[in-house]
Amino acid sequence: MIGFVFRRLLAVIPVLLIVLVLVFSLVRVVPGDPAVTLLGPGASDVQIAALREQLNLDQPIVMQFVSYLGGVLQGDLGISLKSGQPVTLELMKRLPATIELSVVALLAAIVIGIPLGVFSATRPDTVLDQGLRILSLVGVSVPAFLFALVLQLTFGLWLGWLPISGRMSPFVSFEPITGYYILDGLLSGQPSLALLAVSYVILPASVLTAFLAAVLSRFVRSAMLEAIEEDYVRTARAKGLAERAIIYGHALRNALLPAITVLGLAFAEMLGGAILTETIFAWPGIGRYMFEAISNRDYPVIQGTTLLFALIFIVTALVVDLIHGWLDPRVRKRLK
Amino acid sequence: MKILKNLAIATTALALLAGPAAAQSESSTLVVAVPSDPQSLEPGTNRAWPVGSEVILNVFDTLVAWSPPEFSSLEGRLAESWTVSEDGKTFDFKLREGVMFHDGTPFNAEAAKYSFERTSELNSYVKATFGLIESVEAVSDTELRIMLSAPYPAFLSILAQPQAAIVSPTAAEEAGEGFASNPVGTGPFKFESYSADTSVVLVANPDYFRGAPGVERLIFRVIPDASTRRLELESGGVDIVQQQGQLSSPPAQDVAELSENPDITVLEVPSQIIRQFEFNNSLTDGPYADARVRKALTYAIDYEGLLAGIFGGTAERVYGPLTTNSWAFNPAMKEMAPTYDPEKAKAMLAEAGVDPSELSTKLYSFQGQLWGAIATFVQANLADIGVNVEIAQTEFPSYRALHVAGEHQIALDGRQPWYNDPDAHITIGYLSSLKDSAMTFRMGEDAELDALIQKAQQTPGLEARKELYFEVQEQIMEKVPGAYLFSPKLIIFHRNNIDGLVVNSAPPLNEYWSVTKN
Amino acid sequence: MSEVLSFLRNNRLAAYGAGLLLFVLMAVIFGPILSPYQPTKLNIMEALSAPSATHWLGTDSFGRDVLTRVLHGGRITLGIGIGVIVIAFSVGVTYGTISGFAGGWIDVAMMRVVDAVLSFPALVLAIALAAAFGASLENAMLAVAITLAPQFARVARAQAVSISVRPYVDAALSLGLPNRRILWRYILPNGLAPLLVQSTLALGSAILQTASLGFLGLGAQPPIAEWGADVAANLQYARGSPWVALAPGTAILLTVLSFNMIGDGLADWMNPRRRKRQG
Repeated sequence: MIGFVFRRLLAVIPVLLIVLVLVFSLVRVVPGDPAVTLLGPGASDVQIAALREQLNLDQPIVMQFVSYLGGVLQGDLGISLKSGQPVTLELMKRLPATIELSVVALLAAIVIGIPLGVFSATRPDTVLDQGLRILSLVGVSVPAFLFALVLQLTFGLWLGWLPISGRMSPFVSFEPITGYYILDGLLSGQPSLALLAVSYVILPASVLTAFLAAVLSRFVRSAMLEAIEEDYVRTARAKGLAERAIIYGHALRNALLPAITVLGLAFAEMLGGAILTETIFAWPGIGRYMFEAISNRDYPVIQGTTLLFALIFIVTALVVDLIHGWLDPRVRKRLK
Repeated sequence: MKILKNLAIATTALALLAGPAAAQSESSTLVVAVPSDPQSLEPGTNRAWPVGSEVILNVFDTLVAWSPPEFSSLEGRLAESWTVSEDGKTFDFKLREGVMFHDGTPFNAEAAKYSFERTSELNSYVKATFGLIESVEAVSDTELRIMLSAPYPAFLSILAQPQAAIVSPTAAEEAGEGFASNPVGTGPFKFESYSADTSVVLVANPDYFRGAPGVERLIFRVIPDASTRRLELESGGVDIVQQQGQLSSPPAQDVAELSENPDITVLEVPSQIIRQFEFNNSLTDGPYADARVRKALTYAIDYEGLLAGIFGGTAERVYGPLTTNSWAFNPAMKEMAPTYDPEKAKAMLAEAGVDPSELSTKLYSFQGQLWGAIATFVQANLADIGVNVEIAQTEFPSYRALHVAGEHQIALDGRQPWYNDPDAHITIGYLSSLKDSAMTFRMGEDAELDALIQKAQQTPGLEARKELYFEVQEQIMEKVPGAYLFSPKLIIFHRNNIDGLVVNSAPPLNEYWSVTKN
Repeated sequence: MSEVLSFLRNNRLAAYGAGLLLFVLMAVIFGPILSPYQPTKLNIMEALSAPSATHWLGTDSFGRDVLTRVLHGGRITLGIGIGVIVIAFSVGVTYGTISGFAGGWIDVAMMRVVDAVLSFPALVLAIALAAAFGASLENAMLAVAITLAPQFARVARAQAVSISVRPYVDAALSLGLPNRRILWRYILPNGLAPLLVQSTLALGSAILQTASLGFLGLGAQPPIAEWGADVAANLQYARGSPWVALAPGTAILLTVLSFNMIGDGLADWMNPRRRKRQG
């Protein structure tokens, strides 16, 4: 197992390097001087010269990359044009919001997606199954911005059950501890605050969950159908085991393993969807931050957020693989 | 379904459960929806970014301000009275006594001097106007003298801008660069907190020299999506939505629907904003360098259709370089202004010997729904006379760069005057020496017009200036620098339990001191 | 042909999807010819009129016939989707096949690049690219294609690896056929089926992503009729005049849904074990 972990970690390094090259290239494919691009139109000649120096722009491109890499390794992602603050600091401020939103969406997707998949798989090709499949296909086909508006109108305005946007009531005086509001509510011994935070997260999370749960239920369904055909399930059947035991004891367990991988990848993909969701729901996370950086042409922030999204993906994929390898010896072997 | 219903009851009760303090503050907290994160909350670095500027006006005070509700004359704020010398170059202010900054520092002439010098040094945005200041002198604790290098009658208007607000010298020195995120002024509200992409929270200053404000807390909530802002207003999540000069969307539809909502009041105030279809007037060759061609195109635009169709009465016609509500507006502009006549436009093009196909080019525009709609409209109008242009909605920084470099032939542009004087439109927009300084009409060199513009800017006496500006407007119109499309009204939506909101038109920023919430 | 029919007979979901797609295609191909209106001609006096006998889906804020815009927009949107897939397919499959056929460290190195590109969430990468190249329809298409290409590369590589070890490829190699010929004649055609499934599914996401870019103002420029941009431009009218945003929105939903239904059915059908059970 240790060897597996080591090899898997080793495999991450070249990917990380290539990702960094791509992000580094981003400001260099924009026409014009990267220093001018990074400083924006208001910059003075002195500032431009200073940044040219700092970026080693008069040196060969390889040396420029090395100094960029050096900066990133020390957590230096440059200075935001808009706020004048370090990009790393700005990202740290907004990361908890995005993580909270996506983790809630992920948990909801697991709770909804897996049972739906199992339900479908146990009655394949019935009307219910077909209906659920179509529903899940709608889930991956519906444009997020349309779904978001419908949710806001229905649950926010007409029914008035849930807040329309934001992350916390502006009337509550509340000092975040960790930046994860639900957790903060619990930590500060005010469960009502945690519940309030939950009420704010439900609508935006639903938009993300719809996509994730749809992907998951489709996958669980087909994986279970495959597993039911496997020899060991037939053996179990032949042995006269109860159908329930077969489905949950054997088929589901085997279907869930690959589902972790799918979920991991879909989760990271879903983060991209957070750009739209966070903007519509005024959720102060990194997706919306990236979108605003684009309309401001705040290149250091665009670079930083792009890199962060890729890092989250790589880490998620890594964790998923490690869990998978830990649970399934065959995966460990494959990497040899 | 039942579970959901229970959940709903639970969540609505939550705000109450969160503690009596929270529930209480709701009735004395004013929530204003703003479209973007505020930038730079202090006069020394703010460059007319609307959200930050509005915060500044509520945390700081200026020496003078336009008096509500007409905003046609100036009143004293931190200055009690003032006199201007004969030659228009020396301004003497008598300052208010006994005013304290939020940090306890007393306000005096030294503080005002410090603020002006600090802003001149730090803020390149006010270079053109603050650059005229030759010296600032604290004659005594309550007397301030400002000397200009040239007469500038609009100077008092400049002093009413948020960038001219007075900062606490002790706090500014102590905080250094951090002052922008921890501003200290003398205003009706004290800065409490800012959380990124979420909100700015201000609390009442009970010792404010004009009396304590009507609400205890003022929260600017950042909500980027226009439709979400409207939903929040309807559900009571926010009290006021300011359209920020309609940068986001044409509010016609919202105005029509929200005026039927019994909980919501719609305020419409004429502004001095001008939006135009403009030419790059420093081109020396190509069809667009020909004034006859430019004039022909101005007859292709359906001005009334644009106002009625896209704006549904939420914008007004602009006839020339100034809006009709400006004191310097020349009524002759109404005669000189083009009317919608596509046949005439075609005939004029033919007369100039230009085939419409030669005029194909990119029509540059800002991003967003509003500009998308205007661009679509103008593009269709031009297509009707055979001129096919391609719309390019461009992000502001790149758009500004290509505009300032003069890489365009035609563009949609506009100006939102930041101070209440014709100077705000004319000088920066049409002075040929300033053509590369910002997004201007890029007027070609014309010594006569330039001299006239400068004379109008500097001559003392309102009537004399008015005469001069009349002449300026006529000369500009003859050059056909663009087609003036419309002036949007400032549209503000507020819930009915809000009283006392006064909407300022130039700059279009609100002071919330007088607002109460029931 | 008979195989297609037997597939559709045995796979009801895919059959519905195919029917839906056929309907969309017919509408988009013939609709604009039959419509009496122009998609970009303004008629401001009839702005935002409700669906009626003269305007079946009503008019938008410029008085343009919504149905006509949806029909014309379909050509653009579907054209974009297909264009994106053609680019992503050619780039991704060529890359993946070469990588899989080459094997060894070349394969490893080439696939690491794919992993790296895959690490960017598609929309993030598309936005970043659109930011770098500037907002236009061509750049949006290119950006979406780049985000989809790695998926094709992965599938193609897997196919190439499994086919390279088949006897007929060994035979071709021992006959001394040039690599390029082996690639084109043997490896690519035999690995095509899963790539087609991938294309169908990717078409759906290509359309959705272009729509999202359009929503963020990074896609088609007005007055071009394009579904995503049309939804975005009209979302503000959705409350009072729901048809203006719902019509193009539903068109996106139905089209993407039809591709996903077919793709899902195909994937199911090609899975040998499932096929046996259904057959």
